[in-house]
Amino acid sequence: MPTAMRKREGYKSGIELLQGTLDMLILQTLRRGPQHGYGIGQAIRSGSGEVLQAETGSLYPALHRLEKQGWIKSEWRSSEHRQRAKYYQLTQAGKKQLISEHSRWKQLSAAIVRLMNPGEEGGDA
Amino acid sequence: MSLGLDRLFRRKRSDQELDEEIRAHLAMATRDRIELGEDPQAAALAARRDFGNRTLIQEITREMWGWSALATLWQDVRYALRGMRRNPGFTAVAVLSLALGIGANTAIFSLINALMLRTLPVHDPGRLVELLFKAPAQDHFNAFDWRNYQHYRENNHVFSGLIAASDTPFAIRGDGLEPEIVHGGFVSVNYFSTLGVNPVLGRLIGSEDGSPGSPANVAVVSWSYWQTRFNSDRAIVGRQISDGNRPLTIVGVAPRGFVGLEPANPQDIWLPLTAHQPGNATTAQYWLKLAARLKPGVSIEQARAEMNVLWQWTLDEQFKANDDRSVRDWKMEVQPAAAGLSHLRDQFGKPTLVLMAVVALLLLIACANIASLLLARGAARRREMAVRVSLGAGRLRLLRQELTESVLLSASGGLFGILLANWGTGMLVRIMGSGRERIELQARPDLVVLLFTAGIALLTGILFGLAPAWQTLRSAPMFFLRESPGAGEARARRLFGKNLVVAQVALSVVLLSAAGLFVRHLSQLEHLDLGFQRDHVLLVDLNAAGSGYDGERLSRAYRELLGRLEAIPGVRSATTCGYFPMAGVGAMRPATVEGYQAKPGERRFLSENWVAPHYFATFGIPLLLGRDFSFQDQGRQRVAIVNEMLVHYFFGDGNPIGRHILFDGDSQPFEIVGVVGDAKSGDMREPALRFVYFNSFQLGRNFSKFALRTSVDPEAVAGDVRRLVRGQLKTVAVEHVKTLADQVDGAIVPERLSAMLSGLFSALGAVLAALGLYGLLAYTVARRSNEIGIRVALGATRTDITRMVLREALGMSSAGLVIGALLAYWGKRFVGSLIPGLPVQSVVPIVFGAAVMVALALLAAYAPARRAARVSPMEALRYE
Repeated sequence: MPTAMRKREGYKSGIELLQGTLDMLILQTLRRGPQHGYGIGQAIRSGSGEVLQAETGSLYPALHRLEKQGWIKSEWRSSEHRQRAKYYQLTQAGKKQLISEHSRWKQLSAAIVRLMNPGEEGGDA
Repeated sequence: MSLGLDRLFRRKRSDQELDEEIRAHLAMATRDRIELGEDPQAAALAARRDFGNRTLIQEITREMWGWSALATLWQDVRYALRGMRRNPGFTAVAVLSLALGIGANTAIFSLINALMLRTLPVHDPGRLVELLFKAPAQDHFNAFDWRNYQHYRENNHVFSGLIAASDTPFAIRGDGLEPEIVHGGFVSVNYFSTLGVNPVLGRLIGSEDGSPGSPANVAVVSWSYWQTRFNSDRAIVGRQISDGNRPLTIVGVAPRGFVGLEPANPQDIWLPLTAHQPGNATTAQYWLKLAARLKPGVSIEQARAEMNVLWQWTLDEQFKANDDRSVRDWKMEVQPAAAGLSHLRDQFGKPTLVLMAVVALLLLIACANIASLLLARGAARRREMAVRVSLGAGRLRLLRQELTESVLLSASGGLFGILLANWGTGMLVRIMGSGRERIELQARPDLVVLLFTAGIALLTGILFGLAPAWQTLRSAPMFFLRESPGAGEARARRLFGKNLVVAQVALSVVLLSAAGLFVRHLSQLEHLDLGFQRDHVLLVDLNAAGSGYDGERLSRAYRELLGRLEAIPGVRSATTCGYFPMAGVGAMRPATVEGYQAKPGERRFLSENWVAPHYFATFGIPLLLGRDFSFQDQGRQRVAIVNEMLVHYFFGDGNPIGRHILFDGDSQPFEIVGVVGDAKSGDMREPALRFVYFNSFQLGRNFSKFALRTSVDPEAVAGDVRRLVRGQLKTVAVEHVKTLADQVDGAIVPERLSAMLSGLFSALGAVLAALGLYGLLAYTVARRSNEIGIRVALGATRTDITRMVLREALGMSSAGLVIGALLAYWGKRFVGSLIPGLPVQSVVPIVFGAAVMVALALLAAYAPARRAARVSPMEALRYE
């Protein structure tokens, strides 16, 4: 039942992110410093030139999952507009995770590129 | 549980935080939109729209926390508690019967734990063994003399330490102490070091107390004695106390919990064996209990082999001394002693194991009972279950919910059970201690017992919960499809319920016949011909030690006292003796009987007792030939009275009067002047022994055991006796006063315990089974009321309907009876192999069990049958 509803919600413009990719992007975003959930979502959107969309329905579960895994930690503090918000921050384990996920992603995307452009592949080899 | 609750509280806080996090998100999104020039209201709306389904997002996020398993468990528990509150009657019945079942199991297990499982608080108790000797067809005894102890200690290669300890009461006095008898013992100097026990204060008895010339007048006291008598005063070391006339210096305190080698017979004071003065009239020759620690790497089998070799020496010595070939059949045993010496285990171990089986059956009956109650209630819940199953609830989840409820029920039962057990165990220990031995078993529930109780509570919860829950779930969707319950499904359910009732009846028959067996056994023992009359006899123990009276003076005083005692109104005769009947086996010596040629190596031992005139009249032992002793025997030819057993053995049909008996080592023979009937002296289950009675006054021996035959209630003269003794012999103490009947009862405590408890538990089991039957019939009648209505409409009479219900009840009970009788027949032989002397040949107990169950079944069926007969056809059809 919940799956069906989630699908219905995800109609908005922009490319919806796969879970693993979203995790990596969150970690990447936090490399620049602590940020709250809203800020992370905005950063991913603007950083990708408005192409990638981190849906709240995926973003918040992902944040809580990453925190539980110990890759990020959180604390409450005030934003520049004196809005109290929960700021997430990369941990040491998170940094390592980001490196390994990044390299995996590079392998994956290279493989996909090769598969999607069979002609170029022959040329490369 | 506390951990779970804690996490639940944290979860609540996390919920609030998540809420706040989302609110912050929305606030920031709204602000951004306003900054871009949107109208504040529209901005807030758009932010919310952008955010998506807030509740759903919260829910998915929460799943990431990973606590949902615990949260659902909490949900199940709350659901179950609601269910229990909704049916208070059902809950009360279930919890009560579980409390009885679990409580009974916990109580008996506490006994087993204290008797057999709990190890001594010493270093590595698993390596301790005890030595015992065993004559053919008799119990084994841990009783050795000093010479044998020394021989074993010096010549064995298997023990890292062989220790000896006695069981001795001390009359302790001291500054600031109430004079009292303190139970303790003489111990060998290696006692504490071999056990690996370290002092709390001062030192324990050690090798320095064994060297020749050491004063040896030292004592070590137990922790609890130090606590209660010395208020934990650390200055106790060096304190002077005395035992009778022997001065003692307290040198140390044993660690907490250490009470010697027999936890049920706790000792509070220990003296070195070297302090024991031999030649003391009260000490028997075989007075030392031996235990040992196995050397590292030595197995108990190796120890047995070695000790059997050393035992040969003992037998040779015994044979040399007595020329008695029967000692050749005596065996030495080496037994594990991790839980202490086996004495009490031998007596109560097997009855307790049988009782454990009895209470396990009781718990099974309670389980079946609650299972059928749950089943009946499950019928009422089927609709709810069906709805939940069709809405997509996982069956496993529902099963778990049902099990949560049953485990919750059994856990509550377990809690009340522990309370019941705590009370029950105290009672059991008191009953066990009502015998002639001192039993102070520490049977309070400890961790092992609590774990056991928790274990069986969980197990019973699953046992009685699983089957009904499964039944309910299996049938749930069918119910939903068909509004009216299908005939097949209802039959399956009823069949299941019937099986439960059959099982209950069968188990109850087993319990009832076990109880019948034990009660019959007890009553056989109670009505056993003991050779003496147990009623109307008062036994009085005096203590003349340190009174200033002794020898001739005491003899005269006692003779005078006997005369005065006989003058008390209500007293018919008074006497004294060396030991009372049934107070244990007395002395034995080899002897030559005139006119009888003993075969080489024949057992020549005769049992002895020293009695005053009127002994036989007082105890009601018939004088068959000749005369009783008299005070005029003093200074004349030594006389003896023998029992029938002896006469038959040595004289056949001949007349023994005037013949003589010469004991080995005596210079003068005894002339037989009378023959009396056989009276039991030790174990009432054993045949009487060949007995010789001597006239204690003729031999100038004073015994302080007085007995009075009364024409009134013996307790009624006890006060007069105490007053008389105090008036005439001021310095002589009255130690014990009890009736002979109590003394005899004290010898059959294990049997009485078995009979009482199995009777109680089987009655409970039978009542539970009857309730189960009643419940099922009432349920059946309610379900079938429209069928019954149609039958009545078609012309069935009330008698027909009543008969129909009774037939069903009898059908179920007979199936249970047959199964139960078979089980009981098999179980009887099993129990018979454990406890010798049970009347297992008889079928009376099984017939009794079956008859009780039939009567109960008919009683249980009566009310439902009446209700069925009252069903009016109109009402029944309207119900449909």
